[in-house]
Amino acid sequence: MTRSPAELLQGTVDILILRALAWEPMHGYAISRWLAARSDGVLAVEGAALYQALHRSERNKWVTASWGLSENNRKAKYYSLSTAGRARLQAESTVWRNYAAAVSKVLSPA
Amino acid sequence: MPRTPSRFFQFPWRSRAQIARDVDTELDFHLEMRVSELVAQGLSADDARKRAHDEFGDLEFTRSYCRNVDNASDRSVRTADRLDELRQDAAYALRTLRRSPGFAIVSIVTLALAIGANTAIFSVAQAVLLKPLPYAAPGSLVAFYEGHPKVPNQRLGLSAPNLADYTTQQHSLSGIASYYTRIATWRSGNSDPQIATVTSVTANMFDVLGVPAWRGRTFAAGEGADANSTKVVLSYQFWQTALGGDATIVGRTITVYNKPYDVIGIMPRGFTRGNNEAFWVPFDFADDLSRAAVTRKQHVYECLARIKPGITLQAAQADLAAISARLDADYPDINSDLRATLTPLREAMGRSVRDPVLLLLGAALLILLIACANLANVTLSRSMGRKTEMAVRAALGAGRGRLARQLLTESMILSIVGGACGVLLAIVGTRALLAVNPHVLPGVFEIGIDGRILLFSVAVSVGTGILFGFAPAISAARADLQTALKDRGRGGTGSRASERLRHMLVVAQVSLAVMLLIGAGLLVRSFREVSTVHLGYDPSNVMTAQLRVDGARYDSISAVNQFYDDVLGAIARTPGVVAAGASMAAPAQGKQFSTKFVEGAPPPTGTPPDIGYNMVRGDYFKALKIPMVAGRMFNATDTPNGPKVSIINESAAHAYFPNGNAVGSRVRIGPNPAADWVTIVGVVGDMRDAANWAAPVPSIYDNAAQETWWRSLSVVVRTSGDPMTVVPAIRAAVKAADPTLALRDVETLDEVIGVSLSARRFALGLAACFAILALILAAVGIYGVLAYSVNARTREFGVRLALGATGRDVMILVLRQGFGWSVAGLAIGIGGALAFGRLLASSLYGVSATDSTTYIAVVFGLLVVVLIACVVPASRATRVDPINSLRAE
Repeated sequence: MTRSPAELLQGTVDILILRALAWEPMHGYAISRWLAARSDGVLAVEGAALYQALHRSERNKWVTASWGLSENNRKAKYYSLSTAGRARLQAESTVWRNYAAAVSKVLSPA
Repeated sequence: MPRTPSRFFQFPWRSRAQIARDVDTELDFHLEMRVSELVAQGLSADDARKRAHDEFGDLEFTRSYCRNVDNASDRSVRTADRLDELRQDAAYALRTLRRSPGFAIVSIVTLALAIGANTAIFSVAQAVLLKPLPYAAPGSLVAFYEGHPKVPNQRLGLSAPNLADYTTQQHSLSGIASYYTRIATWRSGNSDPQIATVTSVTANMFDVLGVPAWRGRTFAAGEGADANSTKVVLSYQFWQTALGGDATIVGRTITVYNKPYDVIGIMPRGFTRGNNEAFWVPFDFADDLSRAAVTRKQHVYECLARIKPGITLQAAQADLAAISARLDADYPDINSDLRATLTPLREAMGRSVRDPVLLLLGAALLILLIACANLANVTLSRSMGRKTEMAVRAALGAGRGRLARQLLTESMILSIVGGACGVLLAIVGTRALLAVNPHVLPGVFEIGIDGRILLFSVAVSVGTGILFGFAPAISAARADLQTALKDRGRGGTGSRASERLRHMLVVAQVSLAVMLLIGAGLLVRSFREVSTVHLGYDPSNVMTAQLRVDGARYDSISAVNQFYDDVLGAIARTPGVVAAGASMAAPAQGKQFSTKFVEGAPPPTGTPPDIGYNMVRGDYFKALKIPMVAGRMFNATDTPNGPKVSIINESAAHAYFPNGNAVGSRVRIGPNPAADWVTIVGVVGDMRDAANWAAPVPSIYDNAAQETWWRSLSVVVRTSGDPMTVVPAIRAAVKAADPTLALRDVETLDEVIGVSLSARRFALGLAACFAILALILAAVGIYGVLAYSVNARTREFGVRLALGATGRDVMILVLRQGFGWSVAGLAIGIGGALAFGRLLASSLYGVSATDSTTYIAVVFGLLVVVLIACVVPASRATRVDPINSLRAE
């Protein structure tokens, strides 16, 4: 199993959440499951970081929240991506991809 | 207006506790999901819980972090929503108001007039009654007078010996300063001599007032004692206007009374002792005190004092009264019954204007009340019509708070616009009024619109708007939803209770307006009486000017007589001049009093009666067209060394010589038993020489050619044409006789009388404006309510007309309603006027407070205005088309 970076950058969590919600509206636990599944278990976002990022994003109006029922009929807070969030995701993804490409270029053997 | 739909999907506002609970629920859900997943993987419940917590990270920090973030977003959402609503409300309000411009205009104009009137009067009242005087700690300053306790409001100055006794014996004052104001001739360098108002003050005056000089210094103790070292302190105003603001003047000299005075300082801008005096010179009492036997009865010095800290006005008053009692015992024939009185300085200075200002404040308040009734009425009428709208909005989900905010926004917009217009009106109005009547207020009171007044206006307009615009609207909007919707389109006249309320408001308005109209009517009548009163002399085509003989060379009687004979002779010879004379007191400018003893008559018991005293020379009576009733005028045979002669007026002749033997009798003037007896040589007609409203009193005229101790005379010149055309000739005559003397206050007698009436005219002008305002507002109120009621009863009128009523019947129906209110209002208003008229009595002259002419005129005037206000709605009622009005349902 590949080691995950010890501390994911804060901005990274934000963009990962937005990406997850671009898939479909979901609650916090589902987001963490989705991220783990999509990254084959590499990106295990800590609960603390996840919820801090979610509430921050809500304040920034990137996501909107509403209460709904979970798969097991429990009351859960569902987040969905707002128009502003979608724009943010697009902008940040580009920045992130360029950054990642630059980093891997530098790290790649000559 | 495009709006993003996002806010409809947001959480509604949450409380802090709710936010905390929500965060807990969310985090608990996460942990439990993880626990059940781990349990499914085979962990024990305890292990799973521990693992889930470990994986989560810092749970407590996250909890508080999320709560804080949520609270912050909730707050900003709330603010944004509120602002959004406010914008929405304002836009909606503006739209609604634009759709009913009549309502908006009536409300704004009503408010503007009421706020304008109140702001203007409040700015005057604040200057006169509230604003601190331009002195340090003005609260402990008092005016110090003596007076007989039996004579109400008698305020005599103090004599120097009495003052010295008070000063040494009292324990409650930290300083007493005295002053007297007079006219002085002055010049700077080689300029022409000019005349200015100068106040002589004791050296401690500025210390008692606690005001230091702005440039240089004020008087030091002892200055004023030495007649050879004379100092002067200038007022800022005088320094600016007469000396051109020359900063090097301090340390130089100006010539006053033909003597050089060292300028030692300039007082700050706005500083005055109440007469807008030009400069101050020091004096002391040494000379007076050396002749105490004579000067103790000369009550000439006005005094002010500062009460020591911690001592009350009453205590200080008692302290001084005790000294008065001792003085009374020591000098019974001079100080008989005189008692010291202390009056707070502000009260003493504002005394003359206090009553009119309070009167006008009351009138302005009445206007405000009428305006409130008007506002309440138009709002009530309007909200009846908006019932359906409100009900629909409520049915669509607007909460009561939301509807209230909507109505509040409307009232606020109206109040603010109305208030702003009102303040503008007040600024323009007070400026204009003061420009027309510059002599109305004592110089020390400066009127201006400042922050405090603005605050007052804002408070009044917003308060009025909310109380009388918003409150009725919200109570009307609180109607039952179902009934309102069911009634939809029928436009009922509203509930019986609110209808009765509106009618009561109209009645109240009319009665308040009637009270104001009667008050103003009485003032107008009184002003007419005052300005057309039989003066006893003819002020038209008469020129007056003040002339003062200064300097040691006029110490001899013959020099003074030579000068005045030259001047008056030269003036009399000028073409266009009918007669020229001079007197000690100018007509219409106040009066001196003295006591008289008639030869042969038993000496009077108690205080001898006063007699009006004046000195005249030349053709004074001829110049004023005062008829000679008996005897003769002074002539060349009345020489300074010959027997003293006098002339008395008819009142004095009737009062003291009822047998008609006045001419040839002898009288003695003044308390001095050694004074000469004077022979009465003539009797002249009575004249009102103090003020128009003061009835003539028994008076005596001494011959100024025999008594030259009084240095200032006022020249009186009658011309055949425009009196201003002879002014150059008068100046030339004075210059030819003595080039060092100047003329002052050159004006026509009509102007002098105008000034003496200006305070009355000012108050009258305002009161009349207020009364007309009240009438307009009341008319608007009647019109508004009647028009609304006609509108609401269209269907009823339609039915009546369809059943055979004529247009005339319907019209009478409406008129009867309008007049019913007015008659009720009239009755109440007349009752109020009768009750409160007594308050006016002191401001009235020649009219009683229950003057029937005024009352009848007001009743008729009001009925005419009511008729006009009723005719339009009434005639509209007759034009109702029965078919249409019934089909409109």
